[in-house]
Amino acid sequence: MIEFIVRFSFDILAFTSVMVLIVLGLGVIASMMGIFNFAHGELVLLGAYTVFVVEQSGANIWLGILAAPLVVGLFGVLLERTIIRHFYESPVIAMLGTYAIGLIIREVIRGLLGGHYRSVSEPWPGAWTAMGLSFSIWRTFIIGTTIAVIVGSWLFLTRTSFGLRIRGSLENAMLARACGISTDRLYTATFAFGAALAGLAGALIVPLYQLSADMGLRFLVQGFLSVMLGGVGTFEGPVLGAAAIGALAAGLPWAVLPVLADPLVFVIALVIVKLRPQGFIAGARK
Amino acid sequence: MTTPASSSPARIGRALPTIETLALLAALVAPLLLGESPELITLATNILILSLLAISFDLCWGYSGIMSFGQALFFGVAGYVIALVGRDLEFSHAWGTLPLAMAVGLLLSFLFAAFLLLGRRTPTVIFVALGTLTGAYAAERLVSGWQYVGAGNGLSSIKLLQFGEIELVEGPAFYYLALALLLVCYLAARYIVRSQFGLVLAGMRQNEERLAFFGYRVQVFKALIFSLAGLLAGLAGALFSYHQGFIGPGNMGPGLSTTAVLYALFGGSGTLIGPVVGTFLIETISYVLADQDAIKQYWPVILGVVLLVVVVFKPSGILGFFVSRRERIGSYGGRSAKGGPR
Repeated sequence: MIEFIVRFSFDILAFTSVMVLIVLGLGVIASMMGIFNFAHGELVLLGAYTVFVVEQSGANIWLGILAAPLVVGLFGVLLERTIIRHFYESPVIAMLGTYAIGLIIREVIRGLLGGHYRSVSEPWPGAWTAMGLSFSIWRTFIIGTTIAVIVGSWLFLTRTSFGLRIRGSLENAMLARACGISTDRLYTATFAFGAALAGLAGALIVPLYQLSADMGLRFLVQGFLSVMLGGVGTFEGPVLGAAAIGALAAGLPWAVLPVLADPLVFVIALVIVKLRPQGFIAGARK
Repeated sequence: MTTPASSSPARIGRALPTIETLALLAALVAPLLLGESPELITLATNILILSLLAISFDLCWGYSGIMSFGQALFFGVAGYVIALVGRDLEFSHAWGTLPLAMAVGLLLSFLFAAFLLLGRRTPTVIFVALGTLTGAYAAERLVSGWQYVGAGNGLSSIKLLQFGEIELVEGPAFYYLALALLLVCYLAARYIVRSQFGLVLAGMRQNEERLAFFGYRVQVFKALIFSLAGLLAGLAGALFSYHQGFIGPGNMGPGLSTTAVLYALFGGSGTLIGPVVGTFLIETISYVLADQDAIKQYWPVILGVVLLVVVVFKPSGILGFFVSRRERIGSYGGRSAKGGPR
C-alpha cells in the first residue's frame, strides 16, 4: 500500500512539474498583460525542437537543453516587440493573434520535421532505487529543476528591486508608469521570461514524449485551465492550479475508464472555474 | 484601424445587396459552368456547407461578441448523430434527419450557453472563449478514443441522404439542396440580425454595460444567438457527413473551429456575406494549391500569416475594402416613415 502511494505521488509530481513550468509562463503573461497566449504550446514545441536540432547536429544534448530557453526567450522578445504589443488593448483579439502565431510556428515545424514523429533520448537514462522502488532519473531531474525555477522566480519577485517593479506594475500599471517605471520594457521582459520558461519545459519533456508538431495543443488547454483554476494575477495560483490539474490527470485514470478520464479532467476543471471564477488564491485573499 | 475608403454618402447602403445578389447568381449558375467536372461540383458543395459553419461562427463573434473556439463541436456532434442514426437505425430520410441535426445543434449549444453564459455572475470573455475551446478539445479526445463511434478512424460509408425514394449522392442535386438550405438559413439569419433583436445585439457590441443598465438581460440574448448559431452548425454538420460519407474526430475539434474563425474573419466578420466570401476564397485557393507540391506543404503557414495580418491590420476583412463601416453596422427595424413601435 505504502509503495503504491509513493509510486503514485511520484507520478503526479513528475507530471505536475512539467505543467508548472508551462503554466508559470502562461500565468505570468496573463497576469501582467492580460493576454492569454495561445501560442504558448507552440513555444514549448519550439523549445523541444531546439533540443532536437542540437542533438541532430551531433552536439552534446545538454547544449540543446541550455540553448532552448535562450532561443525561445529571444524569440519571445522579437514577438512582443513586433506583434504582441498591438494586442494589449483587447484580450480577445490577442487570442486570435497569438493563435495565428502558434499556427505559423506549428506548421513551419511540421514542415521541417516532415510530418514524422521524432524522439530524443534521455540524457540520463536509467533509474535509481529506494525502498525497492525504482524512479526514473530524468523525471527526478525535471522535478528538481522545476522546484529550482519556482524558488528562483519567487526569490526574484520578492527579494529584488526588479521584482518589486514587476509586482508594482501588476498591482497598478498606471501608477507604476507615473512613478517612472517603464512598463513597456517590463512587458517585453515578462513575455520573454514566460517564453523562456516554455522553452525550458519543452526541452525537459522532449525525451519523455515523442516530438511531433501537435504536442503543443494539449499543454495549452491544460495550461489555460490551470491558470483560470488558480486565479489570474497571482504567482502561487497557477502553480496550485497546475498541481490540481496534474493530480486530476494522473489520478482519474485509476478511477474511471481511461477513455473517459481524459476529457473528464477538462470538464471538472471547467466546472470548478465556473463555480469559482476568481480562482483558488484570489478568493482566499479577499 | 483603417477606415474603409468608401465612406462617401452615395455608396452607403449599396454595396452589400450588390455583393449578395452577385454571390447568389454566381452560386446558381456555378454547376452549369463547372459542367461535367464532378470534382469541382464537390468542391462547390463543400464551400456551401462550410459557409454555413462560418456564418454560424460569425453570428457569435461578429454579431454578439462571443468568441467561440468550439463551433465545430456542434457541427461534429450533429454529423456523428446523423451517421449513427444511419448506421444503427437504417434511417436517413431528409425530413427526419435534417431537423434532428438542427435540434442536436440547438440543444447542445443551448446547454453550452447555459453553462458558459448564464448564471449569477457575468462570465468573462476569456472564460467563454476558453470554455468553448475546452469543450471542443475534450469532445475530440473523447470521440477519438471511443470504439462505438469508430474511435480515431471516425465513421465512414455513411448511409446516403434520402428524399422519398431518391438517394442523394454528391453532384448537382446535392449542390442545389445545400444551396437552398444555405439560402434559407442566410435569409433567416439576415432577418434576425436586422430585427429589433439584432438591434439589441448591435447595442451589446457597442457597449454591453450600458445595455445591461437599460434593463436588457444581455447574457440571455447572447445565449439565444449562441443557440441559434449552434442550430446552423448542426445542420452544416449533417450535410457535411452526408456529402463526404465520412465524419471523424478531426471534424469536431479546435482545428475545424479555428478554420471557421479564419473563414469569417478573412471574408469580413460582422456581415453575413463575409463568411461566405471568406470560405469561398480560402477553399478555392486551397484547392488550386493542392496540385503545387512546393506550396501545398506550407499552405497552413500561409493561412496563419493571413489570419495574423487580418487580425492586426484589417479587422473588417476583405469586405472592408468594399463595404462602408456604416453599412456593416446596418440599420434596424422599419424606416422611420412607417416605423414606430409594433
